[in-house]
Amino acid sequence: MNPLISAALVALGLPAALALLLAVVPKLRRTGKPAALLSILGSLLALSAAGWLAATWLHDPKQVLDLTTSWLPQSGKSMSQVGVHLDGISVSMLLVVAIVASCVQLFSLGYLSDEPAPALGRYYAYQSLFLFSMNLLVLAPDLMQLFLGWELVGATSYLLIGFWFTRPAAGKAALKAFVVTKFADSGLILALITLVAWTGSFSWNATLPAGGAEWLALFLFIAVMGKSAQFPLHIWLPDAMQGPTPVSALLHAATMVAAGVYLIVRADPIFAAAPHVRLFMTDLGAITALFAALIAMVQTDIKKVLAYSTCSQLGYMISGLGAGSLMGGYFHLTTHAFFKALLFLAAGAVIHAVHSNELSDMGGLWRKLKFTTVAFVIGSLSLAGLPGLSGFYSKDLILEAVHESGNPLALGLLMATAGLTAFYMTRTVVKAFFGKPSHAAEHAHGPGPSMTIPLLILLVPAIGLGWLAGPMSKLYGRSYAFHLDTIGMVTIALGLGGIALGWLIYGMGLLQALPRAFAPIARIANGSTVDDLWALSYSKLGMGLARAIAWFDRYIIDGLMNFLGWLFMWSGQRVRTLQTGNVQDYLYAVFGAAALIALWGGWR
Amino acid sequence: MTAILLISSALFCAGVYGLLSQRHAVGVLIAIELMINAANLLLVGFGWRTGGAFGQSFALFTMAIAVAEVVVGLALILLMYRSRGDVQVDQATELAQ
Repeated sequence: MNPLISAALVALGLPAALALLLAVVPKLRRTGKPAALLSILGSLLALSAAGWLAATWLHDPKQVLDLTTSWLPQSGKSMSQVGVHLDGISVSMLLVVAIVASCVQLFSLGYLSDEPAPALGRYYAYQSLFLFSMNLLVLAPDLMQLFLGWELVGATSYLLIGFWFTRPAAGKAALKAFVVTKFADSGLILALITLVAWTGSFSWNATLPAGGAEWLALFLFIAVMGKSAQFPLHIWLPDAMQGPTPVSALLHAATMVAAGVYLIVRADPIFAAAPHVRLFMTDLGAITALFAALIAMVQTDIKKVLAYSTCSQLGYMISGLGAGSLMGGYFHLTTHAFFKALLFLAAGAVIHAVHSNELSDMGGLWRKLKFTTVAFVIGSLSLAGLPGLSGFYSKDLILEAVHESGNPLALGLLMATAGLTAFYMTRTVVKAFFGKPSHAAEHAHGPGPSMTIPLLILLVPAIGLGWLAGPMSKLYGRSYAFHLDTIGMVTIALGLGGIALGWLIYGMGLLQALPRAFAPIARIANGSTVDDLWALSYSKLGMGLARAIAWFDRYIIDGLMNFLGWLFMWSGQRVRTLQTGNVQDYLYAVFGAAALIALWGGWR
Repeated sequence: MTAILLISSALFCAGVYGLLSQRHAVGVLIAIELMINAANLLLVGFGWRTGGAFGQSFALFTMAIAVAEVVVGLALILLMYRSRGDVQVDQATELAQ
């Protein structure tokens, strides 16, 4: 077997084996630390395999390797292929997932050090299961295996959000995330059924009937809206912050929510033939980006700020993909995975230090947590799009693409979002790390090495990945060289303006009228307007439809059956009086009938 | 020949009338015998008309079967009397239950 394929199988199989081992050997799981170290070792091995693959592909980006076996045979040919599919896109995504997953697993060792041993073991079993599921999704040779991975990451997301299942809020959040994404996943199931009905296979390269691509792309995009938290299906993501912070970093910022974006990149042949859906994606992505950024401005919980920011950045990616820039959307996925994981882990270090998510419990933390402050600030600057940091390049690519697609509305929304992003990240940084220390912040303690090392590792791509845009672009068959033009300069100006404004208001205490103007936004954000709209549409539309169907079922379907039953009972009652038991009555009938037959014969 | 047909028809109709109107089981049995004999009369009559012994011999067969039938019928009536205490046909309506 090709050694490259073996490496991919290691990245896929090792986490699966570890998850299975931890699941079926409770003794090992309950030891806690050893189970954790085993899982970290597995993720590091998967990382080295992925790193080797990525290095190979950087030398030869055009290479495509497959190891697949047929599945679901039907009339001589197989509908589906399962196995590993290695090309530039899957290899680079594999590396992103492996890096972030390894960092997060290492970080969790420090973050969850207060957990009892059995819970720690359970956590690492879930983590290994997640790594396997995500790699299954990433390496999928067709949509069927991708769907399996997609559902598995959804299930692990449920398990990890509800990790502290004794908290009612965590249980509810896990359920909400599961239900909302499953609701959206019906689109993916619909797409699979349509695809197999039209082409007889689950391949995204199959030739489709005319106009079919629009429908397929729409169905797929519904699933993407759920998984990648696009408006109005984003409602589960902020609640998912009930999970441990490293989980938020891995699943709900860097990798799992990006699976939707990855799906669009994979199914590009379908989306490329669907201009209407792409236009819809561009607009919806831009709307999500701005909407989530507005809400992020008024959040008081540091994780919620980052959650809405994730939502907003996913909007960017979707918008870029809608504008036809595969590279823009996918490159932003990559850079975002690193700087957002960095931000979440830094926020985790802060939360670990002050034992609270609230920004008001922080403040002045830079004295106690110097390294964490540096990491968070650099992550924020990368997110805000400061030139030279990775976020700037990928954001610029998307804005250029949206500009070229001739969609000034979406471009305007996204540019406004860029300014807002810089503003709310400055607000968060100032509130958490500068200003007057709160009571909790006075007693903060610095993170241990298992928490600082992952931050250090993630700092490297968060700063430098943008410069690798050229070589990275070859991985997905594009060529790219950065050049600064008007849009780039306006974005820089907006970003710097946002930072300056944020510093003026929250750092220096000027322009206090402006935060008060945000009060209506705060009402929308905290009154969970979108959730209420969903609840209303459920109680009115869903229940109304259900009632109408119930009425139809009760009175039309059941009514017909009951009428038939009654008819036969009634006619039976009438007919039974004919049966007297008297032989001579029967004989009357026999002779009467014989006489009638004889008469009829004579008549003819 | 017409006379034979008329007598036979009359005999059969008398049998049917008896079958439907008699309440006593023995009466019913006698009515059945009347109907069998109407058929026998026809067999013999047509046999006489066409010549040969075919009609007569068939009538003999019928008589033999009628004897067997009477035996079965009387046995039934006897059993009916033993189990019910009477032999009124219109009282025996257990089939309706």
